[in-house]
Amino acid sequence: MALTVVIVDDEELARAVVREYLAAMPGVDIVAECANGFEAVKAVSDLHPDLLLLDVQMPKLDGFEVMELVGRDVAVVFVTAYDQYALRAFDVHAVDYLLKPFSAERLAAALGRARERLGRHEALPIREIAAAARPSPSYTGRILVRDGPRVHVLPVRKIDYVQAQDDYVCFRCDGKDYLKEQTLAQVEASLDPAKFVRIHRSFVLNLDRLARVELDARDNRIAILADGRRLPVSRAGYARLTGISN
Amino acid sequence: MHPILGRVERLAAYLAAWLVVCALLAAVFTRLGLASVEALALLLPLCLVYAFVCLSAWYVSRAVPLRSSSVIQVLTSSALAASIASGLWLGLTEAWITVLSSTEAFAPAAERYAQQIPFVFAAGVLLFLLALAVHYALLAFEVAREAERRQLALELLTRDAELRALRAQIDPHFLYNSLNSISALTASDPAGARRMCVLLGGFLRDTLSLSSRQRIPLAEELALADSFLSIEQVRFGARLRVDRRIDDGSAACLVPPLLLQPLVENAVTHGIAGLVDGGVIRLEISRRNGHCSIRLENPCEPEARPARTGGMGLDNVRRRLDAMFGPDASIEIHAGAAQFRVELSLPCTTSE
Repeated sequence: MALTVVIVDDEELARAVVREYLAAMPGVDIVAECANGFEAVKAVSDLHPDLLLLDVQMPKLDGFEVMELVGRDVAVVFVTAYDQYALRAFDVHAVDYLLKPFSAERLAAALGRARERLGRHEALPIREIAAAARPSPSYTGRILVRDGPRVHVLPVRKIDYVQAQDDYVCFRCDGKDYLKEQTLAQVEASLDPAKFVRIHRSFVLNLDRLARVELDARDNRIAILADGRRLPVSRAGYARLTGISN
Repeated sequence: MHPILGRVERLAAYLAAWLVVCALLAAVFTRLGLASVEALALLLPLCLVYAFVCLSAWYVSRAVPLRSSSVIQVLTSSALAASIASGLWLGLTEAWITVLSSTEAFAPAAERYAQQIPFVFAAGVLLFLLALAVHYALLAFEVAREAERRQLALELLTRDAELRALRAQIDPHFLYNSLNSISALTASDPAGARRMCVLLGGFLRDTLSLSSRQRIPLAEELALADSFLSIEQVRFGARLRVDRRIDDGSAACLVPPLLLQPLVENAVTHGIAGLVDGGVIRLEISRRNGHCSIRLENPCEPEARPARTGGMGLDNVRRRLDAMFGPDASIEIHAGAAQFRVELSLPCTTSE
């Protein structure tokens, strides 16, 4: 069976080299070419390819963000001029890492490794690994949520709060809810602690949205948001809140 | 090392000053009733010895530096040292008088001297304080000169480091990506691949040769920026468009080398490369009233993450403009949400 491949690179010439190399290799089928990360996520959803040949530096979504969104569904070979991402690429379990410019033989070797990996059918916790490989220590400025072929980009300043829901977290942003398969602890770690506080086992709150904290009839603390919404505050959460405001 | 004893010319000047002091003291003594020969015979050897005594003020000025001591410390230590020195001066004078008075000619002088003891003591104190002031001044002078020397050395080092950094400023990823473009073109467009090799070779050669010069005509800098943009246009295709409006009169203006190139590079890597559809880089250069103004504008992605390092190149440009033109040149940066603009203004100097 042919290996189905999607080429993702914002430069036409860079895609052309890969296309030319692949054309000479038997058993490879190029099912799509994408010029940015959004197209790549859509192509993975619609076409279910075996392999992404993925550039790192692209407009809108970079290669690592694409990996975080679709890495569970497809094998990835990074193709880039930048060698400083190589360690990170293997941390997120990329199949291979090609440095531009590269030879047809090197690309063939990468495809060989991809075939081997696909034959083993191993399931990797790609999303967690990719999130862990995010360049620290700067906190993320946006949250990416995949919704089938679509990608929602949520700027963190627009997020009201994040709520844990079983295996998912729910981002409340611009009056809508966005579900993502992730743990609240991971979300909390990626957000700036000066702006987002874990006020409860199930809630991380954007401090800009907090109007006041009240006591309810049973002496539980309740956070009142600017839009009137009420969220529970645990004892430890209240301690963290007062720790920030002091 | 002692600032006066250590240098022959300073010691000579110092002793000459003491001769003047000696002459003045002698004049005072003649006023007080001594014959001038008597006064000189008395004072000349004394002054010579006391001149060397006063050199010990160096140790006081070192032990109690002005910068790190309180006024009281300085005053008390000066007063104490002056009193001790003047006591010695008084003792020496007494001894010399005793020696002189053994000769008949000086006997009356010795008698008249006895009434002048307070004056002699006061003169000793004053002279020591004067010497101390001179030492303090010399010390301050040497500290200032040392600081100046260090500053100069630092500036030299910085310039050296900057030059080296400048040479390294050719982004290796620019090379890798260009080579990848050539690799792509060799199959589909061999003539294009060759053109790209020629462009790249020219760009590298010009970058290296220009950066070793102090100042170059703007025309050469523009040619370098153009060859950079031509190479990037091969890579980005229709995404990278350039709109140039260059005033002919500005071509001869002298600028520090690689002034425009890092700005143009920023416009591509931090502007156009982040946009799905690319955009237009606008470069306007005009000459008016002896000033050359350069304006470079590029669109950028509003949602781009700020983890970009465009500051280094801009900072380097700012410092080199400042080093060459001082306050006559300026650089202004307008970072809008979707548009980035750099405006340079510099005096138009030409080689003639």
